[in-house]
Amino acid sequence: MKVTTRGSFPISYESLRVKQKVRGGVHHQGPNEIGVLGVSGIVKMIKAVMMMNTQGKPRLAKFYDFLPVEKQQELIRSVFSVLSSRPENVSNFLEIDSLFGPDSRLVYKHYATLYFVLVFDGSENELAMLDLIQVLVETLDKCFSNVCELDIVFNYSKMHTVLDEIVFGGQVLETRSDEIMKAVEEISKLEAASNSISLVPKSVSGWRGGR
Amino acid sequence: MSGMRGLSVFISDIRNCQNKEAERLRVDKELGNIRTCFKNDKGLTPYKKKKYVWKMLYIHMLGYDVDFGHMEAVSLISAPKYPEKQVGYIVTSCLLNENHDFLRLAINAVRNDIIGRNETYQCLALTLVGNIGGREFAESLAPDVQKLLISSSCRPLVRKKAALCLLRLFRKNPDVVNADGWADRMAQLLDERDLGVLTSSMSLLVSLVSNDYEGYSSCLPKCVKILERLARNQDVPQEYTYYGIPSPWLQVKTMRALQYFPTIEDPSTRRSLFEVLQRILMGTDVVKNVNKNNASHAVLFEALSLVMHLNAEKEMMSQCVALLGKFISVREPNIRYLGLENMTRMLMITDAQDIIKKHQPQIITSLKDPDISIRRRALDLLYGMCDVSNAKGIVEELLQYLSTAEFSMREELSLKAAILAEKFAPDLSWYVDVILQLIDNAGDFVSDDIWFRVVQFVTNNEDLQPYAASKVREYMDKIAIHETMVKVSAYILGEYGHLLARRPGCSARELFGILHEKLPTVSSPTIPLLLSTYAKLLMHAQPPDIELQKQIWNVFKKYESSIDVEIQQRAVEYFELSKKGAALMDVLAEMPKFPERQSSLIKKVEDVEDTADQSAIKLRAQQLPSNALVLADPQPVNGTPPPLKVPSISGIKLDHESASQTQSQPNGDLSKAQSQIPSADLVGEMVDSLAIEAPPVDMGSHQRVYREEDGIPDEVDGTAIVPIGDQANKVEPIGNITERFNALCLKDSGVLYEDPYIQIGVKAEWRGHHGRLVLFLGNKVTSPLTSVQALILPPAHLKLELSLVPDTIPPRAQVQCPLEVMNIRPSRDVAVLDFSYKFGTSMVSAKLRLPAVLNKFLQPLQLTSEEFFPQWRSLSGPPLKLQEVVRGVRPLSLPEMENLFNSFRVTICPGLDPNPNNLVASTTFYSENTRPMLCLARIETDPADRTQLRLTVASGDSTLTFELKEFIKEQLIAIPMGSRALVPAVPVPAAPLAQPPSPAVDANDPGAMLAGLL
Repeated sequence: MKVTTRGSFPISYESLRVKQKVRGGVHHQGPNEIGVLGVSGIVKMIKAVMMMNTQGKPRLAKFYDFLPVEKQQELIRSVFSVLSSRPENVSNFLEIDSLFGPDSRLVYKHYATLYFVLVFDGSENELAMLDLIQVLVETLDKCFSNVCELDIVFNYSKMHTVLDEIVFGGQVLETRSDEIMKAVEEISKLEAASNSISLVPKSVSGWRGGR
Repeated sequence: MSGMRGLSVFISDIRNCQNKEAERLRVDKELGNIRTCFKNDKGLTPYKKKKYVWKMLYIHMLGYDVDFGHMEAVSLISAPKYPEKQVGYIVTSCLLNENHDFLRLAINAVRNDIIGRNETYQCLALTLVGNIGGREFAESLAPDVQKLLISSSCRPLVRKKAALCLLRLFRKNPDVVNADGWADRMAQLLDERDLGVLTSSMSLLVSLVSNDYEGYSSCLPKCVKILERLARNQDVPQEYTYYGIPSPWLQVKTMRALQYFPTIEDPSTRRSLFEVLQRILMGTDVVKNVNKNNASHAVLFEALSLVMHLNAEKEMMSQCVALLGKFISVREPNIRYLGLENMTRMLMITDAQDIIKKHQPQIITSLKDPDISIRRRALDLLYGMCDVSNAKGIVEELLQYLSTAEFSMREELSLKAAILAEKFAPDLSWYVDVILQLIDNAGDFVSDDIWFRVVQFVTNNEDLQPYAASKVREYMDKIAIHETMVKVSAYILGEYGHLLARRPGCSARELFGILHEKLPTVSSPTIPLLLSTYAKLLMHAQPPDIELQKQIWNVFKKYESSIDVEIQQRAVEYFELSKKGAALMDVLAEMPKFPERQSSLIKKVEDVEDTADQSAIKLRAQQLPSNALVLADPQPVNGTPPPLKVPSISGIKLDHESASQTQSQPNGDLSKAQSQIPSADLVGEMVDSLAIEAPPVDMGSHQRVYREEDGIPDEVDGTAIVPIGDQANKVEPIGNITERFNALCLKDSGVLYEDPYIQIGVKAEWRGHHGRLVLFLGNKVTSPLTSVQALILPPAHLKLELSLVPDTIPPRAQVQCPLEVMNIRPSRDVAVLDFSYKFGTSMVSAKLRLPAVLNKFLQPLQLTSEEFFPQWRSLSGPPLKLQEVVRGVRPLSLPEMENLFNSFRVTICPGLDPNPNNLVASTTFYSENTRPMLCLARIETDPADRTQLRLTVASGDSTLTFELKEFIKEQLIAIPMGSRALVPAVPVPAAPLAQPPSPAVDANDPGAMLAGLL
């Protein structure tokens, strides 16, 4: 496959631009939207799940508090810019009050070319959240036998299905990867049963290899 | 796996884009295509729709706004086939929020899926509601979701989703889950065998008990049982162990739930819990496998929290501290991090300070950790544990660390070092050393406040002056010094340099020489300060130094034509003044002492906890008003006209801004006029760009005259100067304060107030006419809240005693303040808590009504008809028995009304009134003046018009009868339920106090006739 060059556009510049936009008050905020994640301090929950590659491309992002798309992007970028500057062998925790408001926490894990990130508030235990990332990764590993970034890119819809079986409305739903797999497979069967369109096999020569 | 070739091709295309621009073009093309397809809807197959909607979601993730197709996504929900339905659900929950109009359209379809037989559809629907369900969903779906959760025929897969879905609905509208009806069910759910369902149910419980722990007290022993079972690994299916640990998530959640109960009364439950906790504390080792380590320590840290919460015996606490001490030195960074964080929490909760101090060397080592997250935790801990005994060591470590710390931490670090040095300085010379070192090491990160503060100290402490002067003199010998160092040195040498005159290298001429060397390197705002110093040096030169005078005059002359007005003005003035000789002495006299005020630094430290740029914004905001506000005259803030413009002393201005006008005053006594200027200028320099403290008014004679004439207060109130930042950062409460109060009137624990920084919770216990309310002041952020003040404004009928409220709430700590309440006589007046604190520079204050209301002094009491009727008859009429027709009542069904009455402890006695439309109730009221007093009430409702009813209240005390009647009326008219918000706020004309019952109603009301019989 082609090596993606897209990852090389200046992310820092982008995030800078977005930040200024928000500061300047151009940032659109509808009447019912919650401004910053953290401001809704009453709600105790996992606030967001993000996956991004080591170049900052979002691969999956789910926010459990509604946020306008620009805000989501800004947060993804800011988180990435902090993550990418962290050395190896340090803790999996980040201070992110400035991004997500008071009492928010972030844990992340770095696997090969991907960062898995969970943002949550004081209602959850940091290490338990770290374990949850491990559960997610182990599940994906079973799903795609030896998961790699491309599996995640091209199975976008399946990623959502898997995630929905683990985190539900900002709460931990299931922590057993075999149980999660069972639920996901059930759904896949249902999809296949009523879907006559040809399946795209997991590895298509054009997509694999390279990178 | 369902594949969608179109989606894959699109993703592939996007990946092949060479740059952002190409990506945008591709995305725009796709969006255009989708839009067109949706418009010509006719031929769109469900498969195509599904494909497009997934593409939209992908585009959304890439960061593009997708502002169409929402309708299509929602409409897919009611598609008959699974794949379309599925994508409809997933995409809707990603693209829409709970307030989106389209969502309303889906409620019916969603409900059909929930009550339908298809479990897969149920799951999809529950997931949608769990992710974005709002109030409307809560009201229409809660009963169905509850049914699913407790259904024995549903699979665990559905039930665990139902549990979390219900949690969401409960948060959207707490009324949909009522402890009375649900507590037993909840307790039964905790007997669940399936650990997946149990985990979800536990999350639900955490949410429920955080709102009302009392209602769910029956769940407490069950939680302990579950924890026991897991911790001992009894009967836990292999699949639910994670790296050998029995479901760490469930263990953690269970311990979370337990932390919402204030105490555990039952001794045997308490004992078993402590046994389990002991086992967890002692039985956890650091092992090689990272995942196993994480899981076991997740449980361990939660157990630590629970132990701290339960305020265990000292022995167990010291065990905890010992464990934490171990953690902060392990190799595993996550555990080090959490060890430090929990140690900081430990600081507040126990008297573990001394044990923690033993770990100081290790904590200091953590300050050099490669991980910034850990370094920050270590900094917080060091800051928290610092006191007089260890300040020297800690501050010196901070200073050392400052030179290697990353930029993002330096400002916070230098501020914290400065504060600790000021707060805990064993002697002032050490303080001066620290601050100068700070400026030397990290001048860029030392805000003006810090050097202003050291100048204040030096000015106010004569002993310190020669020392400070000699110290700054030493720094001046360095080749490159920071501009802030130049400023502070110039100021101190100007004022006190002459104290060093006999030392080598410290003659006025030498001091001038060394300072003047720096002048070319400084920015223009520093030059005026240097000019002032030169003038002072010249004055202090003893004997007068002609050579020095020549040099300094040359400087003044040079700047006479400066483009900078401030510099030009000073140069001109000082030149003129210095020609006056003796007059100079008078004008340039030493600066008077500053009034003692609380350090502005401490107020500032919180800002730094936010992002650096944020605090920079605040600082800038503070700096803005400086020139205009501070010296010009602090009074205008209060709206009084500037008193300086008094004709009789036209020449004299305190205002350094107006100095230029002074010059142009034709007949002003120049020397007199200017006599004020230089000192004012220096003070101005101090206060300039800061607005912290107004300077002391110069004690010069002119001014004294002036003051006598005008009676201007000689001390300016510093607090009158409000930094602009305050307005910009106004703190808004979270949630509706009134609703919170209303809810608390009907229950005994909950949140009274919340904003982004603090949460005030209340737990209350009532016994007779006594009550004990505990206020829980919880700091939600990682910086302390300062100047915390709580004042109770008691009404006449209550005796209130609030225990001491600490001035500062440490980061993420919770402070408990018990409040003793005694009820003297019946009254509906409400006590008010006047609460305020400071976060950063913002003063936040709130007046909060305390839920120590009339009904809290009621004790439920259910009477039989044999007990009720004799009492009712014996209280024959006003003023002991009062009757009123209440109109504008919010329509309630009878069971709802019964619940309402029971909730404020007026017990409904069922079956006493023969008319099914009427309710009879009784209760006992306690106060110091009245004995325990029986109260009776009767409510006659009109089935034809639920908005009116007749209320009769009777008791042995006329005031009580009146107050209780009014109270019940208030409750009926403004029912403090969350659901009230949905009812359009019809202004209800409060029924006049003693309105006679309307005869028309009487005639039609069968109850009215009965009333006569009763």
